[in-house]
Amino acid sequence: MTSPAGSTPQLSIGLSATPFAPLQRLEAWQQQLARQGLIAAAESLFIGRVRPVAGDGSTLAALELEHYPGMTEQQLQSLAADCAARHGVLAVLVQHRVGRLAPGEPIVLVAIAADRRGPAQRCGQELLEALKHDAPFWKREWRTDGGSTWLTGNTPR
Amino acid sequence: MTAPAPQLQLRLFASLREAAGWGERPWPLQPDDTPAQIWAALGLPAALGSVRVAINQRFAAADTPLHPGDELAFLPPISGG
Repeated sequence: MTSPAGSTPQLSIGLSATPFAPLQRLEAWQQQLARQGLIAAAESLFIGRVRPVAGDGSTLAALELEHYPGMTEQQLQSLAADCAARHGVLAVLVQHRVGRLAPGEPIVLVAIAADRRGPAQRCGQELLEALKHDAPFWKREWRTDGGSTWLTGNTPR
Repeated sequence: MTAPAPQLQLRLFASLREAAGWGERPWPLQPDDTPAQIWAALGLPAALGSVRVAINQRFAAADTPLHPGDELAFLPPISGG
């Protein structure tokens, strides 16, 4: 499937080194689309937060997210553009954290605006999987004893 | 005056950066060098099959030809989102 004729999907991609409020970011994005006269009948939303438990079952003190500045932004842009074009959606919002995060803090926000629920949900799910595997982010779990471990993969869906 | 020796910029991230003790350094480029050959020369405790290669901030195959001034990065397993 391709984009609706005559329209290029709007991509809003952001990285933040400090905490962000997903609902405020979402509202700002919705207002931006409204100002552009873009009315989407369907919107899907995913918010990912730091799990309070480390992979080994111990209490998590913090999660550190390292990335490859420059490549990360390019990859997010490219993955979002590909996914948007494939599903013919109207707009994509991705906000991703980097740096040190406390349990419960938002890591990622993905929102898709489309004309139908199917493309909105499918594009959101695909883009989330794509950025988990193909955007250069690395997670390190910090335990309460001061030790840490770099994760070598993603949690199951 | 002789021309400067060709080199590239080498970058490592996360666990690879810590294993090597550095994250970024210039690296002399030999004729016909590939990322796979440079990876072997680094002698890091990870198999090439477990890392991904990026050249100039784009994913690339490990046998891609390299050019002076390229930025070559080795990326440990990705865990985003």
